[in-house]
Amino acid sequence: MKQVFRLENLSAFYGNKTVVKNVNLELNEGEFCGLLGLNGSGKTTLLHAACGFISMKGACYVKEKCCTGMNEKQRAREIAFIPQVCSLEGGKTALEVVLMGYNAWLSLLGSPSAKQKKKALEVLERLGCEELAYQDFGELSQGQRQMVTLARCMVQNTPVMLMDEPDSALDFLNKHIVLEKIRDSIKTNQKAGLITLHDPNFAMEYCDRLFLLKQGEIIAEVHMGQDSMEEIKEKLTLIYGEIELFKNGTGYLMSKKKK
Amino acid sequence: MNGLQKRRKETIGVFLGVAVAVFIATVVSVCVGKYSISIEDILAILGGSDEVSVMSRKVFFTLRLPRTFMAILAGAGLGLAGSVYQIIFKNPLASPDIIGIAGGANLGAAVAIVSVSSSGMIGIAMGSFVGGFLAVLGVMLLVKVTRSRSTATYVLAGIVINAISKAFIMGLKYFADPENELAAMEYWEMGTLGNTTASKVMAIFPMFFVGFAGLLLLRRQIELLSLGDNECRALGMRLRLVRTIILLLSTLLVASVISITGLISFAGLIAPHISRLALKRNNSLTMCLSGLMGALVVLAADILARLIYSTELPISILTTVIGVPLLIYFLCERGKERVI
Repeated sequence: MKQVFRLENLSAFYGNKTVVKNVNLELNEGEFCGLLGLNGSGKTTLLHAACGFISMKGACYVKEKCCTGMNEKQRAREIAFIPQVCSLEGGKTALEVVLMGYNAWLSLLGSPSAKQKKKALEVLERLGCEELAYQDFGELSQGQRQMVTLARCMVQNTPVMLMDEPDSALDFLNKHIVLEKIRDSIKTNQKAGLITLHDPNFAMEYCDRLFLLKQGEIIAEVHMGQDSMEEIKEKLTLIYGEIELFKNGTGYLMSKKKK
Repeated sequence: MNGLQKRRKETIGVFLGVAVAVFIATVVSVCVGKYSISIEDILAILGGSDEVSVMSRKVFFTLRLPRTFMAILAGAGLGLAGSVYQIIFKNPLASPDIIGIAGGANLGAAVAIVSVSSSGMIGIAMGSFVGGFLAVLGVMLLVKVTRSRSTATYVLAGIVINAISKAFIMGLKYFADPENELAAMEYWEMGTLGNTTASKVMAIFPMFFVGFAGLLLLRRQIELLSLGDNECRALGMRLRLVRTIILLLSTLLVASVISITGLISFAGLIAPHISRLALKRNNSLTMCLSGLMGALVVLAADILARLIYSTELPISILTTVIGVPLLIYFLCERGKERVI
């Protein structure tokens, strides 16, 4: 498979504190990978560093292009980012929010063309959200908002999608719906996706590979299709301590081991 | 699609309604004052007729026309700038005061009154313009020194600059001649369109135009700034550069207005609120409507300032008196609906 995204010796800092230490990882075309770790392990910091939001050392490559020295606009043509929740509170239609995704491809004074508006509507339709297009973003449910944010990310049309717990505000069913759409979008468009998740069960169900982060370092990598149940359990134990892992159809379910 | 069409109709209706109200207010503003001019006289002057008295012609061209035009510019400028500030600072209380322009302009005017009072209104206008601009540059310098990139830092830096300006103004007032300088300072703080002349309007118009047109051209970037800083960056916005350009343009706009009118309170705060409540949106259309609404509020306030008392009242009293009931009305009408 063709490599799309690579982090080389990436370290990230908040002030003098090193939060992420020498992380190396790579994502391939059409691959949807998860970043798992406990609170404070550096998951969000890692994504923020890769997106250029905070100071970092090391290098970030997209299709062999180094993104480290790029300005925001150049970087946004290579990497799209979905936050935990979209910071917009309302006052704009869902379509207007989706059209914001074209910003990196427009000049400072430019506006989205009729063709781009049509494309944005098509993306909403593909996600099953066409009826939301002219509704106020602030009036949508959290699940609908995340769908609209995903649509915005899709029209941004970058080879790499980084997602910071986009399911955190969603209920059980909406988590499944949103994660399925994200995975489908990555597979269909041959992008590379890296998502931080809190729930390992969702990560095991939807991701191809999992990077396990502890105290800012990647301590193990789980290959969902290749690793045996014992190997997966052993690796997850490094983060979650004593756990039980059960077979669930073609996947697995994890629970904390009862004493 | 029905919902969309209904919304479009509502939006067009609101814009038309406010535009008609601005037109009526413009005509009334030209007509009324200590020396009244009839609509027939105005039509005759505009038609090039010689039947109108020299006095009416003189009042029309030298007093009413520049004053009315300035009222429209002032309201439109403050309304647009207020809307921009409220969007980019994500703060419904944001107005030109928030990043120190008003405080700086006030200090600049006060310094001009005390030190170069002999140069009169031109000196005061120059002082307030320079003061407003220096205040915003001070805010940007403070933000740079703190090395923080967040929006809140701009607001805090604005508070600091405003506080410093106020301290200096209090010092100047304390030592000012109570009969002339202190009175001039107080009067400038309350705002008036009574000192408007055609030459002053022409002097500030290029700066006003650059600020106004620039903000309208950057409307998409301003809308993007309603997102959080990281989301803006992720969408490819060169945040610091764009924010600096927008702040400088809005400063140019506001400073050019208040250098002539003095401080006009409430117009820049209330016009965006009423527009947002009327349109139930917070996008570039709201910014445009806010400009129109600001023009309406300032025109109406200026008309009343000339009419309701034997001497002309400061305009800030009336922008507040007109603005508050309007805002309460819209809040009552739309309060139950979710708006931002």
